[in-house]
Amino acid sequence: MKNGRAVVVAGVGLTRFDSYDGQKGRPKKEYYDLGSEAILKALDEAGMTWKEIQAAFCGSVYCGTASGHQTISNIGMTGIPIVNVENACSSGSSAFRLAYQMVAAEIYDVVLAAGFESMPRGFIRSTAWPEWQRFMGFNVQPAAYAMAAVRYMEETGATVEDFARVSVKNRRHGALNPNARFQKPVTLDEVFSSRMIAQPLRLLHACPLADGGAAVILCSKDKLKSKSKMVTVAASVLTSGTYGHVYGGGSVKIKTPDTITISAEQAWEMSGYGPEDMDVVQAYDTMAPGELWDLEKMGLCKKGEAPRLLREGFFDLGGKLPVNTDGGLLSRGHPLGATSLAQIIEIYRQIRGEAGPRQVPGAKIGLAHAMGAGPNSAVVILKR
Amino acid sequence: MNDTKRWIPVREGLWSDPSADGGEAQLIGSHCLTCGELFFPRQDSGLCSYCQSKDLEDIRLSSKGKIYSYTVVMQRPPVYYKAEVPYAIGFVELPEGIRVETLFTGCDLEKLHVGMDVEMVIEKLHEDDEGNEIVAYKFRPVTS
Repeated sequence: MKNGRAVVVAGVGLTRFDSYDGQKGRPKKEYYDLGSEAILKALDEAGMTWKEIQAAFCGSVYCGTASGHQTISNIGMTGIPIVNVENACSSGSSAFRLAYQMVAAEIYDVVLAAGFESMPRGFIRSTAWPEWQRFMGFNVQPAAYAMAAVRYMEETGATVEDFARVSVKNRRHGALNPNARFQKPVTLDEVFSSRMIAQPLRLLHACPLADGGAAVILCSKDKLKSKSKMVTVAASVLTSGTYGHVYGGGSVKIKTPDTITISAEQAWEMSGYGPEDMDVVQAYDTMAPGELWDLEKMGLCKKGEAPRLLREGFFDLGGKLPVNTDGGLLSRGHPLGATSLAQIIEIYRQIRGEAGPRQVPGAKIGLAHAMGAGPNSAVVILKR
Repeated sequence: MNDTKRWIPVREGLWSDPSADGGEAQLIGSHCLTCGELFFPRQDSGLCSYCQSKDLEDIRLSSKGKIYSYTVVMQRPPVYYKAEVPYAIGFVELPEGIRVETLFTGCDLEKLHVGMDVEMVIEKLHEDDEGNEIVAYKFRPVTS
């Protein structure tokens, strides 16, 4: 893969992730309201007008046909190409990568990546399983994580308490994030007394659903209105599943490297950085244990080492490598199309020194990783 | 079972039918004669999804294996699954080296563990709207 010309972040916008269902005094907002709100914030931060945007990539999963067009028609209809990107939980990051490539390849100079979602409630009704497997009851995303967690415990000696510690850490971080759905810390006892979803994982090992919008405007350096605290995209990578890794099962005689590992290695190569260069990381914690193996598979620590480092505070704010400084999916909530852009936006805030009470002092380089059903694995590295 | 009720497999071709060809019901997989990889269910595309060879043969898989991983699902999944909740699913590793995702049956859900010896059975999943029994393969602990 060629890197092309330098691509920088002009501005970002994020709504609070919350339930916007119009119930119990909560405001009623549709995905297009949330998406356009985020886009307007990004334009404002970039100091740009809508007419400067030359193309748009919009990530969503459950919003139906041409959701990006409906979102953007709230703002302005300038005839630009709008492409809707459905790539499960990495839709936002996939949209980001397409926007990045358009600028890097000098096809356009200013491109929008947006993500938004109004989430259906309850278990996510995924069609990612064939019908007969749905009749068999396999179509339960937390169960897929639970089975992977059981293997992880078997192979590394990790415990359910280690998984609960991920929830406690991220909810502690989330309490410092005014955009998070949950801003109240939880204790280990609260995690262990929450209801079981799929053994050994409980409700507080799982991220909450949420509605929300996120937007990032990317451009070439010459289009930037202000070069103060300039943030450059050092890598944007997307890989899909690799043979022999279907949620811990399937055909297994032959194994290729895991897709998470491959995407991280591509990101190291593209950026010229390595794991040791990262100051802050957003890892994929849709279910708490995932954060642990995610960090290991990306090479940010050794296999089986993440639970011990977590216990020692290595991944805390104030630790050696703070992970999920905005509270992660576990606090922020999970509007599928917006989630992975929110991860990227947190890295942007951190390396610009704008993360307020959750600021990692002196952060200059950070990484965001998102998974998605498929599977997909998306890695973005930003640098000051 | 009354005369009007029928047994309908949850999907055709997952296991061999003893009434048609004798012997025990066994899961049917594909074997790639080029790279040696195994698949379950059978690769209906006729292609090996590792090496893309078209040289596949049907094979009957072992009916006994060990639990590789499992979970007990505590909440009803949407729409399709109609049997009891909680229920246990997981992966069973067969001696051939392939892992099969399955429901577990005939066991205390609290006693499932990695490495447990299990065997395949064909069993009712649920009844459809016409009263037909939808049947599926499941694995249960080996009693000996």
